[in-house]
Amino acid sequence: MAVKYKRVSGDAVEYAVFARKTRAEPLRQVGSVVAPDDDLAAAYARATYDEERWIEMAIVRKDHVIALWTPGES
Amino acid sequence: MSLSGLVLSIADNKQMLGLRYAEWATRAPSLEADIAAAAMGLDDLGHSRVLYGCLDPLGEDPRTANRETDPASLSALPYFDEPWSSWAHFVAANAILDTAFTVMVEACVNGKVEVLRHRLRKMLTEERYHFLHGRSWLRSGIEKGPLDEAWKQAIEWFGPPDGDTAGLHNEGKLSMGPVELKARLEERVETKAPAIRLDWNGWDPIRRRTRPGAVDDLTFGMLRGLEEKRFAPATTEKQA
Repeated sequence: MAVKYKRVSGDAVEYAVFARKTRAEPLRQVGSVVAPDDDLAAAYARATYDEERWIEMAIVRKDHVIALWTPGES
Repeated sequence: MSLSGLVLSIADNKQMLGLRYAEWATRAPSLEADIAAAAMGLDDLGHSRVLYGCLDPLGEDPRTANRETDPASLSALPYFDEPWSSWAHFVAANAILDTAFTVMVEACVNGKVEVLRHRLRKMLTEERYHFLHGRSWLRSGIEKGPLDEAWKQAIEWFGPPDGDTAGLHNEGKLSMGPVELKARLEERVETKAPAIRLDWNGWDPIRRRTRPGAVDDLTFGMLRGLEEKRFAPATTEKQA
């Protein structure tokens, strides 16, 4: 279950940040950010992980990820 | 004012906006907001460099020699004269003034001046994240004072209804005049500007502001490298 955070502006949630450098490679998780809404999460992800020359970056709310199994359950 | 004067004003304001953002890189309400403040500061400082670089191709560089010594020679808004004293000042600048500058850049990119059409386009992509940041924090609610002040200065900066930006719009150099710029700003931030009484009699068309004043001495000294010189060895020749 995704961790819920209390931040300055309401309830904040965790977003996973995905990116890739070339079309040939798949998107991979490069980190995460915590934000109260999608707009701020996008701004934070771009600010935090824009050091490299990504050709694509995407964010996903961690509580929108459907886990099939987790470590220790397989 | 000429188009290059307007471009200089965008550059000076973005430079000051970038510096004021950077001042909050360790004072924002969360670590993520700290990082965003630093990143947006770097973006706007970079944008100012690009804009200064457009002055020569425009054929007329309005920068005068007294920019090295006189803080009041910079064409930046009163909002940037002093460091911001609250997060609300940051958010109001981020949401309203930063977006106002972006809307003006948009008017340049969609105008008929080739150098601006090409060189400024990338800024609009980068500014999207400043906008998302500002809009989100604005929605969370901030004090009215800084917000009203940011709106007032943004509308003043667009210029009077029959002023220079209206003329540049009529010539096709800008795709929007002051009326359209204000409407576009309202559309982008999804809110109407507060009722503001503007007195254009005291408006300075070069600095695009009504209130006198200038950027604080410490910031001006840092901008001009004067602070750095204070710490430089007195006899640099001997060390060479």
